[in-house]
Amino acid sequence: MQERKQTTKYLWPVAFAVILIFSLMTGIFFTRNSLMKLTVEERSYQLEEMVTQIKANLDNGLQTHWNLVAGLNNAVQGKHFTDSQKLCESISSLEQIFCTDMYGSRVMLLDAQGTAYLREGAVGIWNDVTHLIGENKQHTFVSETDNIDGCYLVFAQELDHPVTMGEDDIRFTHVVLLKDIQTLKQYYTTTAYGGNAATYIIKKNGTMAYFDANDGDVISARNIYKALKEVEYVQGQSFDTVKEKLEREGIATENVLLNQTEYYYCLTTLENYDMMLMLLIPADYVAVSTMDMMDSTLWIMMIFMSIMALMFLMAVVSFIKVQRSSQMVKIEQETNRELNRLRLEAEAANSAKSVFLNNMSHDIRTPMNAIIGFTNIALKQKPKPEVKACLDKISDSSEHLLTLINDVLDISRIESGKIQFSPVPVDITEVADTVVNVTYGFMSNRNLTFRCNLEEPETRYMLADAVRLREILVNILGNAVKFTNDGGTITFDASYHPSADKRHMIVHYRIADTGVGMREDFVEHIFDEFSQEESSARTQYKGTGLGMAITKRYVDLMGGTIRVESKKGKGSTFIVDIPMELTDESKIQKRDISADSKNLTGVKVLMAEDNDLNAEIAMIQLEELGIQVTRAADGKEVVRIFTENPSGTFDVILMDIMMPEMNGYEATAAIRGLTSRSDALNIPILAMTANAFAEDVQASLEAGMNGHLSKPIVMDEVVKAIARNINR
Amino acid sequence: MKKVACLLLSVVMIATTLTGCGSHQDSNKENTVENVESQAEKKEKVEIACWGNQMLDTYSQYLCEQFPEVEFEFVLATNSTDYYRFRQDHDDMPDILTVRRFALKDAVLLKDYLYDLSNTELTNTYYGSYLDSYTYDDGSINWLPTCAEVDGFIINKTMFDEYNVPIPADYASFIAACEAFEAVGIQPYVTDFASDYCCMEVLQGISISNLQSMEGRKWRQQYESSATNELSEEVWLPVFENFFDFKEKVGLGAEDATYQNITPKEMFSEGKAAMFRGTGADVITFPGRGQDEVLLMPYFGQTEQDNWYLTYPTFQIAASKKGMDDPDREKLILDIMAAMVNQEGQDHISYGKNMVPYKKDVTLELMPELDNLKPYVEQNKLYIRLASNEMFRVSKDVVQMILNDEVSTPKEALDAFNTELALGESGSEIVAHIDTAYSNDFTPEHGNQAASSIANTMRVLSGVDLVFMQACYAASDIYSGDYAQKDVGYLGKNDGGWPGLLELTGDQVYELVEKTLALTGNRGAVCNDSTLYVSSGFEMDITKTDSGYTLNVLTVEGKELDRSATYSFLIYGERDWYMSAIMEQMGITEVDSTGPKAEEYLSQRLVEQGGQLEAPTDYIILR
Repeated sequence: MQERKQTTKYLWPVAFAVILIFSLMTGIFFTRNSLMKLTVEERSYQLEEMVTQIKANLDNGLQTHWNLVAGLNNAVQGKHFTDSQKLCESISSLEQIFCTDMYGSRVMLLDAQGTAYLREGAVGIWNDVTHLIGENKQHTFVSETDNIDGCYLVFAQELDHPVTMGEDDIRFTHVVLLKDIQTLKQYYTTTAYGGNAATYIIKKNGTMAYFDANDGDVISARNIYKALKEVEYVQGQSFDTVKEKLEREGIATENVLLNQTEYYYCLTTLENYDMMLMLLIPADYVAVSTMDMMDSTLWIMMIFMSIMALMFLMAVVSFIKVQRSSQMVKIEQETNRELNRLRLEAEAANSAKSVFLNNMSHDIRTPMNAIIGFTNIALKQKPKPEVKACLDKISDSSEHLLTLINDVLDISRIESGKIQFSPVPVDITEVADTVVNVTYGFMSNRNLTFRCNLEEPETRYMLADAVRLREILVNILGNAVKFTNDGGTITFDASYHPSADKRHMIVHYRIADTGVGMREDFVEHIFDEFSQEESSARTQYKGTGLGMAITKRYVDLMGGTIRVESKKGKGSTFIVDIPMELTDESKIQKRDISADSKNLTGVKVLMAEDNDLNAEIAMIQLEELGIQVTRAADGKEVVRIFTENPSGTFDVILMDIMMPEMNGYEATAAIRGLTSRSDALNIPILAMTANAFAEDVQASLEAGMNGHLSKPIVMDEVVKAIARNINR
Repeated sequence: MKKVACLLLSVVMIATTLTGCGSHQDSNKENTVENVESQAEKKEKVEIACWGNQMLDTYSQYLCEQFPEVEFEFVLATNSTDYYRFRQDHDDMPDILTVRRFALKDAVLLKDYLYDLSNTELTNTYYGSYLDSYTYDDGSINWLPTCAEVDGFIINKTMFDEYNVPIPADYASFIAACEAFEAVGIQPYVTDFASDYCCMEVLQGISISNLQSMEGRKWRQQYESSATNELSEEVWLPVFENFFDFKEKVGLGAEDATYQNITPKEMFSEGKAAMFRGTGADVITFPGRGQDEVLLMPYFGQTEQDNWYLTYPTFQIAASKKGMDDPDREKLILDIMAAMVNQEGQDHISYGKNMVPYKKDVTLELMPELDNLKPYVEQNKLYIRLASNEMFRVSKDVVQMILNDEVSTPKEALDAFNTELALGESGSEIVAHIDTAYSNDFTPEHGNQAASSIANTMRVLSGVDLVFMQACYAASDIYSGDYAQKDVGYLGKNDGGWPGLLELTGDQVYELVEKTLALTGNRGAVCNDSTLYVSSGFEMDITKTDSGYTLNVLTVEGKELDRSATYSFLIYGERDWYMSAIMEQMGITEVDSTGPKAEEYLSQRLVEQGGQLEAPTDYIILR
């Protein structure tokens, strides 16, 4: 549906563009045709102008000859000649008087039967005597007969008074001027077309009487009209329309194809002479300058129209692009909205997940706190060896369960982006040292050789997330311990290498073992979540399969790299390179003093804890340290107890967060808000909660608390925190 | 038992052999027909309608030789354009038309059906002034003339010398000569006034100076352009005055009005007449008493200045539009027409002599007898007769009226002429109906069925045993439908065709057929299948060879013609040249040609009896 809408949306501009381009093309076509028509009209007009001039010249020329014939008529009419000799002498005399030789003309007299007399004598019946019929006394036509050599334009005048001859009074009816048609060329043709104009003199019935051309008779037909009927007309006209125009206007022009060449012909009627005059000219020679101008105009128009069409096309393309961009923006906006919605949904889901994780963390840690707490309490009661063994196993299992919980929670938090890399200035060598100590702890009761090569860096102070770095190394070393059989060797190298700039250093760790190693195909998946090599050999090793995944993600967070080389049965080598920014000692926080050195005897603690078991454990453990503990069962109660007791009654408040009636944050806010109490703002409030995540820590601090202790509580941490906040 | 078995075996063998022979014969016949057919089928068929049987002497043979790839179908048409109107009415226009009598005002009726020759190569070699006479108002040209026949007074110079009569130089001396011969009991001048052309030519010929005058030319232009349909008194009254004077002084009368073509020729040949109206061609074929010197003199005018020869084209040719939209066909037809009018073609017209060409590229010989024609040719004193169909018809009627004293003054004659012109021609009413159509195409299986039908009809009507006629005398297909009297005539009319009655033995019939097939250069000659002869009452078995046709056997109803029997016989062909030549070769002198002409037989059966033509028969086996 959407696609259809999109298609429809583009269809209109494209259709419009097509229509417009088609219109432009059509316009060009019609313009061209129109121009061509105009050109033809212009050429025809020019040709007709020319032919009209020729016709006028010819008319004048013919009239001149008719004037001459009138003179001849006057000279001979009514005369009587005794014989043909006298008659012929008279003809000769007339020719001399009228200088006919000079003009290529001859004088002829015709008797009543058509016998022609020239100055040389009688030449027989003139073949063309049949032309001297009709009402007219004057006849003009082209004559080419077998009894008088040559081709002539005939000016035949019926004598007003017949000439007679001999005793029988042979009657002469006509005086004729035979004009050599070649000598009339100046009248009927033109040099205007470079000598390429052919002249045709045509009888009224369309048959050719005479033609004159330098290049021969192109039409090559006796019946010119028929030939003109059968030729191809360039403008699609026909000879019928030509004839109509000829009859209407006395002149008509058309362009035709003759022998694949375009010609213009112009026909005009010589009204007084029963003849037609036709000029036939190759189109290339007609109105050449006009044609050039028209061609130029046409080309310019074509170019202009093409540019216009191109521009329009570009405009349409741009428009489509804009439309498409706009559409894309809209799509993007919609996508963004969708993404935003998805993000919000994801965030909501994430939030729900966080809530879930928090709840789970809280709800698991709370009983874990009790288990671990009571186990520790029990162990401190010096139980029988068999009970102690049980308690130790409970303790180990609890620790393992806690690790599992922590790993699952960590990977979830990493994936949900809850964990961020927060480097702080640290002494980097201390990290390695700590890790070494932890590793030695792992190796208790194991027969393993642990070799440490810890290089001393030039500058040991760097910005690092010491906790997570330690976790990385502990994870790797823990695995090495786990997967190396007794008698094996574990090597831990720490070295420091220059980075691209002086402000940074590459911290290089290498952990190698001679353990069970891994198959090559598994090595590729070692950093995948829940990946554990399936082998009977490894089933003995406990693990979640998340350790290496968490490690890899921590390294990635730090911008470092981790790679592994392993061979089945030979052992594994992990190499970790992490870039770290150098810092100076002054920025290092003082190390906490040992919890063992703290003496918290007499310290008064107000503890808000809704869970009775946890409350009991905490109270036992704190009281073992000489701390006086007052318990409140919820938030409201802790506020009430604090309020009801005078300032200084309590040195510190341990505040559970998730409590009925009023949670820890609200209770803290309420205490801090007690303006009537001088210690309300200063009394240290430490969150002691199963909410163990960093954001929980942050939330605690933002709520006005001074520290955050995660459950299950580690008494050393509790001691340190209390000591730090009451300045002991 | 053995004998019976042998007998049976013999019977089977004989039967097998006979059957085999019979089959072989039939197969041969079929093969023969098929071969002839296949040869004919390969050729392009072109039908030429011949105005007269003159075209069958050497002219048709010449065309066959020029175009061996063409199967010509020659038919003998009548000599007027009206015949083609009849053909066109049946949508059966021949490919090439020839006509002797021609006037543009008659020909214009066929204009829509004829090919325009105006822009063909054919017209290029004609003198323009002649072509003008054939050009319609729109510039188109359908007809082109061959050479000009020259018509005048043929005089027996030997007789003039014998009787010491001066050769005439003008009308007065001609009359003086007439009187001189009349004084010695010799018919001075004779002509066949029973023929329309003769009446018309003499009427016009003796008054050419009047007709050729300025007024005469003006009137003629008006008449030919149909601006007028009556004779101008100014021009024509003197013409009739001249004729009355001519009749009077030459001594013509009612008897002259009955003379058919042969009579004056016989009188001239026998020395009974000193002069007769004739043509340049007649000079060759009618040299007086055999060895006499003859001259062709002009029609005499009042002065020598007024002497003119009368001329007309021997014939005109035209092409049907039909089939001309096929360029190959068009080219072929135009090529044939070019061959008909080129030098070689015209050499085959009237022996290539005594004619005046209209074309620049043709030269024709004039015999010494025509020496006195030469100055007239040079002076162009050759009057072209006014030859519309009505002019022939009415001229005959009026001239015969004059000869029969039915009109007593030139004015009455003029009025009679104009009255007839105004009435127009009668005879267009339906007088007959033909039920069955027959084609005149020749096929090897059936011959010419139209000609066979006509021959059978003539045989039945004439009561003879056998008929022998040239197939091309059937002038067209016999169409089924209604016929006017004129149309009946067109089926078998030819001015030169005469039925002759005689008796022949079987041997003579053989001889006649053999000699006819062997004839060359004569008007009855066979040049191709279409000019073969048709037999009625007997059948012909003929073999076609490279050099012509040979007779194998003649049969009557399948049995060989009895050579000893005598048969009454009707021969239908050209009388003066063919029949006389054949009869001379056979030593036969008695042929009765006074009986009805072919058209009269047909009219008798179809009109008078209201019957049908006899059915055709398969009269020929062509091998």
